[in-house]
Amino acid sequence: MTIQTGDEVAQASGNFSIRTVLHNAGIGLALLALILFFSIFTEHFLTANNITNILTQVTINLILAVGMTFVILIGGIDLSVGSVMAFASVIAGKAITLAGLGPFEAIVLAVIAATAVGVVCGAINGTITARWSLPSFIITLGMLNIARGAALQASNAQTIYSFPLAFEDFGSAMFYGVPVVFMVALALVFIAWFILNFTVFGRLLYGIGNNEEAVRLAGHSVYRYKIAAFTICGLTAGIAAVVYMARLNISSPIAGIGFELNAIAAVIIGGTSLNGGRGSVIGTLIGAFIIGVLANGLILIGLSDFMRQMITGVVIIIAVILDYYRAKYTRR
Amino acid sequence: MKFKKFAVAAATSLVMLASAAQAEDKPVVGLIMKSLANEFFQNMLEGAKAHEKQRGDYKLLAVGMQNETDFESQINAVENFITQGVDAIVVAPADSRAMVRPLKKAMAAGIVVVNFDVALDEEVKKQQGVNLAFVGPDNRSGAKMAGDALAKKLGKGGKVVIIEGNPGADNGIQRARGFRDTVAEYGLDLVDSRTAHWETEEANSVFSNMLTAHPDIQGVMAANDSMAIGVVKALESAGRDDIMVVGFDNIDAVGPMIYDGRMLATVDQFGQAMAANAISMALEVVAGGPDLEGWVTTPIELVVGK
Repeated sequence: MTIQTGDEVAQASGNFSIRTVLHNAGIGLALLALILFFSIFTEHFLTANNITNILTQVTINLILAVGMTFVILIGGIDLSVGSVMAFASVIAGKAITLAGLGPFEAIVLAVIAATAVGVVCGAINGTITARWSLPSFIITLGMLNIARGAALQASNAQTIYSFPLAFEDFGSAMFYGVPVVFMVALALVFIAWFILNFTVFGRLLYGIGNNEEAVRLAGHSVYRYKIAAFTICGLTAGIAAVVYMARLNISSPIAGIGFELNAIAAVIIGGTSLNGGRGSVIGTLIGAFIIGVLANGLILIGLSDFMRQMITGVVIIIAVILDYYRAKYTRR
Repeated sequence: MKFKKFAVAAATSLVMLASAAQAEDKPVVGLIMKSLANEFFQNMLEGAKAHEKQRGDYKLLAVGMQNETDFESQINAVENFITQGVDAIVVAPADSRAMVRPLKKAMAAGIVVVNFDVALDEEVKKQQGVNLAFVGPDNRSGAKMAGDALAKKLGKGGKVVIIEGNPGADNGIQRARGFRDTVAEYGLDLVDSRTAHWETEEANSVFSNMLTAHPDIQGVMAANDSMAIGVVKALESAGRDDIMVVGFDNIDAVGPMIYDGRMLATVDQFGQAMAANAISMALEVVAGGPDLEGWVTTPIELVVGK
């Protein structure tokens, strides 16, 4: 085996090839099949209102999953995003309800606070993971507890409420039936897609996931790129916090319990390999929709909560098995 | 003579020792709470701490748990309290069955045990030969109060849905039962009933989907206020102001919603006072009062807008 440079590794695994398009088409077809199924078997699924609902319900998971894609691509995992989102929302909730602020100042302050909390938590995850080459699984599990505890401590376990009206308006605003918050999520998908495909940084992330040593030998600072990936993941948790607050007009220290698992599921169903180096954020977009459409459609069909949970689990496992075969048959 | 002197000295020193011990050792009450991440229990704990400060005649040791399902830490807490030799254990059990055995051990060690908030399982108590009173609200009849307020507005045949708490959580089960009691008594039409795990965002999504499936829903009964908030937001997004919502707990955040009519009613079970009351009852028994018996119900009140 010859040692490739980071750029070569990245290009070899490049996600702009026909193969990757086929990958994504596979999951896309699965999504279409689901949509078709629910359209036939429930009368309300394919209505404008329900589509708006699905878009709203997919938004937070999609935002978290975009950040998660970066971390999983380098072969890491971030279990802390749900808790970090709650912590960010609590701090932003404190900021937005500060006495004596105009509505505009309050909102700006809240957005800054939420994203800052997310970025700091993500950077801590990344720095510790990279500095001591520790498994991100454990470090982010620690952060999951730290952020949750901090959220509860800072809020004294109380729900924070009464936000400026303009903020609520943003959370429920529609643009031709498309929730504005969903458009924020879609913009993030696009930005991530651009970064991952058309910047050296993005291609090096694939390289790190494939062969960290090769990237290092090619003279790149793996350390810095790893921190960046986790920081981006934290940032999306902060953005998700803002969306949560705008949509529900509260900050809750118990928000987002288990959200990390949904975000990871979206990424994996979307065809990104848990081992890193392979996958795309477009797949993540589709993965998030598969989860969202399932959650929505199974309620419309009238399936019990417990059956719904079981089916979601089955879908995740099937997706990973499919991924195994995809990897096998598309390998060079 | 010498002996008498010695005896007096011994007696006085014993008395002094005892009084010194008493001055230092006020009765110790071990309070075992559920998840302190829950606003309701956090408020309860604060109520208990204020109570300790105000009375000043006992010492409070409080233990919470990490999350709703972490009942092992409650069992450990009981065992630690037995080791520390507390005078009373006041406990809100996370699991109404698993907690019976450790509490039996505590009673055997001479500790006064008061069970509040969630009642221990009658069957298991009988099995283990434990006779223990329960101090707490009737979640079922509380939920029925909220449900009845809704039913009176809707009349017979009104279409309603229930948003349930965590499946398996005793208070969640009791509240869902109370709502179903209303449904049966007033002849409502229950079109769907689902859990949203006590959480706002999940309730928002789950209820939006229920509303899509059943656009003719007229009323919503949510097993706690956090979920009711999610329902209210879903109604706002859907542009529906014809659907009435009731909740449970009376947390601060629903105050404005009750006030302006976005929510019809909620139920206050005075959580802040609940632990404090249970502690007072335990202290009375410690001081030699009669044992508690049966179900000592604590107040619940329907909160409605103007």
